Amino acid sequence: MIKKSAIEISQLCKYYLESGRQHVIFKDLSLSVMAGEFIVLLGRSGSGKSTLLNLISGLDPPSKGHIEVNDIHLCELTEQQRTIFRRHHIGFVFQAYNLIPTLTVAENVLLALELIHAISDYDRDQVVNLLTQLDLADCLDAYPDRLSGGEQQRVAIARALIHNPDIILADEPTGNLDIDTGKQVLALLENLVRKAGKTLIMATHSEEVTGKADRVFVIKNKALTWVTDKR
Amino acid sequence: MRRLLKKASRHFLYLHPWQLVIAILGITLGVAVVISIDLALESALHAFKQTTQALSGKASYRIIASDGGLDEKLYTHLRVGQGVQNLSPVVNGYVHSTAITAKTFKLVGIDPLIENTFQSAWRQDNKTGNNLRLITEPNTVLISQQTAQSMQLQIGDSFPVTTDTGQHILKIINWLPENNARELFTHLLITDISTAQELFGVIGKLSTIDVVLAHDPAATIQRIRQALPANVLLMPLNEQAESLRQMTQAFSLNLTALGMLSLLMGMFLIYNTVSFLVIQRRLLFGSLRSIGVTRQQICRLIIEEALLLAMIGTVLGILLGVILGHSLLPLISGTINALYFPVDHSVLKLSPLQIGKGCLLGIATTLLAVLVPAWEAYRLPPHRLLLRSELESGVRRFIQSAAWLAVLFIFLGLSLVLLTGNNISMGLAGIFLMLFGFALLTPQVSFVLMTMLERLLARSPSVLVRLPVRMVKAEISRTGCAIATLMIVVAATIGMDLMIGSFRQTVSEWVQISLPADLYVSLSGNMQASHKSAADHSLKQQLAKLNEVEMLSSVLRTQLFRGHTRNKVSVFEINEKSRQGFIFKQQSHEIWTAFNHQNSVFVTEPYAYHHGLELGDNILLRTAQGEQAFAIIAIYADYSGDQGHLAMSRNNYLRYWPDLGFSGIGIYAKEGSNMIQLEARVKQLLQPYQAVKSEKAIYQLSMQLFEQTFRITETLRWLAGMIAFLGVFSALMAIQFERTRQFGILRAIGMTSGQLSWLISIETGLMGLIAGLFAVPVGFIMAYLFIFVVYLRSFGWTLAFYFNAGVVFQGFMLALVAAVLAAVLPALKMAHTRPADALRNE
Repeated sequence: MIKKSAIEISQLCKYYLESGRQHVIFKDLSLSVMAGEFIVLLGRSGSGKSTLLNLISGLDPPSKGHIEVNDIHLCELTEQQRTIFRRHHIGFVFQAYNLIPTLTVAENVLLALELIHAISDYDRDQVVNLLTQLDLADCLDAYPDRLSGGEQQRVAIARALIHNPDIILADEPTGNLDIDTGKQVLALLENLVRKAGKTLIMATHSEEVTGKADRVFVIKNKALTWVTDKR
Repeated sequence: MRRLLKKASRHFLYLHPWQLVIAILGITLGVAVVISIDLALESALHAFKQTTQALSGKASYRIIASDGGLDEKLYTHLRVGQGVQNLSPVVNGYVHSTAITAKTFKLVGIDPLIENTFQSAWRQDNKTGNNLRLITEPNTVLISQQTAQSMQLQIGDSFPVTTDTGQHILKIINWLPENNARELFTHLLITDISTAQELFGVIGKLSTIDVVLAHDPAATIQRIRQALPANVLLMPLNEQAESLRQMTQAFSLNLTALGMLSLLMGMFLIYNTVSFLVIQRRLLFGSLRSIGVTRQQICRLIIEEALLLAMIGTVLGILLGVILGHSLLPLISGTINALYFPVDHSVLKLSPLQIGKGCLLGIATTLLAVLVPAWEAYRLPPHRLLLRSELESGVRRFIQSAAWLAVLFIFLGLSLVLLTGNNISMGLAGIFLMLFGFALLTPQVSFVLMTMLERLLARSPSVLVRLPVRMVKAEISRTGCAIATLMIVVAATIGMDLMIGSFRQTVSEWVQISLPADLYVSLSGNMQASHKSAADHSLKQQLAKLNEVEMLSSVLRTQLFRGHTRNKVSVFEINEKSRQGFIFKQQSHEIWTAFNHQNSVFVTEPYAYHHGLELGDNILLRTAQGEQAFAIIAIYADYSGDQGHLAMSRNNYLRYWPDLGFSGIGIYAKEGSNMIQLEARVKQLLQPYQAVKSEKAIYQLSMQLFEQTFRITETLRWLAGMIAFLGVFSALMAIQFERTRQFGILRAIGMTSGQLSWLISIETGLMGLIAGLFAVPVGFIMAYLFIFVVYLRSFGWTLAFYFNAGVVFQGFMLALVAAVLAAVLPALKMAHTRPADALRNE
């Protein structure tokens, strides 16, 4: 069976202006990701890993080049259209968790569904189930600032998965966690994503994660270099 | 280390310049409004005092009579008979010139030969001999060179003027001197006393006699007083000026209170902004404390920053205050002119005392406003500074305590209002205390209301519906203060609108009732003029003969001495219909019989209030036959002035005082008469300086004057409102801008910018809703206290409270609209901010 390409990136450039000077983050970057693949992006801090994830998710538009996700040309979309695209197709897990502090754990996850359609009892049950899977059944009505780092990240993972997106993007999801907690979170994430057959792209500077990925790339000197390929 | 500490802290301020600007603007506007009112008031009253002093020179006493004027023979008697030297007779009045532009001049007639002793500011050197030309050549005047040039006149030129006696030609023989008082001479003409007597038709009469006491003043005073008739007084000049100044005390106090209200709003604005600046840097302060910076250093840093803002804001505030003062001065001078006494054209005078006052106000207000945030930063341990949730839970405990304190303030304020008798300052202080208390109560009220709303919305499946309510409640440290500021502004707006509206309605009804006649003839003119009385009587007879006229009434507005003060008196000829023109607050039985045939008076409410008089009290008035007692048989409403006056029947008046003619005649037309024809026929009988108006026209003029006197209040209210809305805007925007990261998260998970705009608008709208709802009862209370406490104590007026639903609705909508508008900029900003950039926002 020929696997379909989930993400096609070609000739991608991203730069920004600061104090009148142009800073290039990367230049002529090309990448093709198959559906269901687990891709790891390695690179030092500031190499452009987060930027690449932002571009794929439509959070940021590229300076030049093309990005196609599930046959949708992101560069041709307006900002509004990119937001709606992201709502349906992308699940994002951030390093800093980025939960809404004024919503409870359950409400943070429900919000991702409410942005797509009106909430039903079924949705609520789905949220409870997912949070239970993530060992958060006791925290449904708690506010994020009362949770540990690991718990918050698990809530973030639940929020990223609840609406059944095609692509999960994780930007250094264990960056703020201790080693053991980080391992647990990674295992959970990988398990859930693999089980559901989702495409997962994870940015990290932890080499331990690379062993689980299908392919590993490194962003270095403003370019993407392929490191390993288990396919 | 201090340099680095300051740099670390101030970098935040440089990154948020608009917050810095808003903080400075708040101090600037608050100080500016207070300074401008103070400046304009002091300048207007100072000009009056200076003019009096400049014209009277070294004179320390003044001999005055009631409106009938002084007999010239008295002067001769004092000089020759009593041997009192250093007396200066004066005749003064107003002339109108239409040369080039219409101008009104104060014309002062003096004895040029005597003025040397008095060293009045206008005095010329005798070398020129021009003083004597004032005596030898009739109708000659001294005028300010600047004024003459504006009229394109030179020395030797003539120009026409109009007085009650007709048109006259005056000739300029010299300029008034260029000295320190030259600004006061812009609308002054100096002439010989005989010329003035002829121009005003007061031959044989004087307006006043000024006295310089050189040797043995006590004996001289005694000699003069013994020689004076019973209806003439010798008064110290400074006492007279001071008593006139005191008349404006209530007016000044109320204006000052308005200014202080602006400063109170400015204070909230500063507190808002400074506390935001502290809260937003709590992580920075927490980090600094964690690495060893002491709490004293943090506290000092905050206070030093606030002081710097205060100094910049105060300097700008004083500058702006001077500019605003220029605009307010004509309004305030005009009001004092209309309601109290003539204030010649004033010039703004900034004194070191006022600058000092402005500096003290600006700095003290800022320090007061910064105390609480500085104390919080001082008090909290580093780990609590770093934890936002700890901060908010701490604030929630604080607002609960503040609510109890608020109740105490409100109770104290109410006690001050109710238990301080007639003291205006205490009444105003009480109102301010209550206002402050309500502001302190607002965060707790907001928290409770949001909790109730949250419970109500708990049943809703939608998370988005609950989110704005949670946002308001969760960040009560910020939202509470913003809501309180908005509440104060709107409450003040509602309160003042209700107060002014009630006043307007009361005055409108009073004017309509007190004008029972169909037409009113105004007989202006110098009452000292010898021909006036006969002319007025002749005119009255002619009016009575007109076919359409059913009956007439008349009034003479004069002044009589009660003790050592001159009191305004209205002398009435009442008919059956004109009796309906009085709104009695208290009255004895059979008042009309007593009014016409017994020694009795009516007094107006303000008069009774200011003099502590009641029904049945006796008033002693000076007559030529000595003091006579007049019983108070009624107290009636009168809103034409706040000092009040007496009312007496013409029968009673003529028993003791000379017939000075009339000030006005009321014409009651027969049923079915053509009023336009009647008015035209009446006009034909009048002199150029006399006028006839219908009661409708007078009503309109009266209401115009009312609006004019409240223009100052309106202007200041708008200024105060601007300050406060600025503050509220900045607070609401700061809250939203602070959530840039949170909004970035929502955008990242799929919320469109349109949905986000709605969210922001609903949140700020909720805050506006709370502020509006709370402002309505607070506004009511304010209006009630202003009407029944402040205005009563200040002016002696009892007003009716007129509820205007439109005002309340307008105020409420103001709160809502202001809050929603404050969402526009943040919403626009978020629409144009990339979610990725927003997520990076710290």
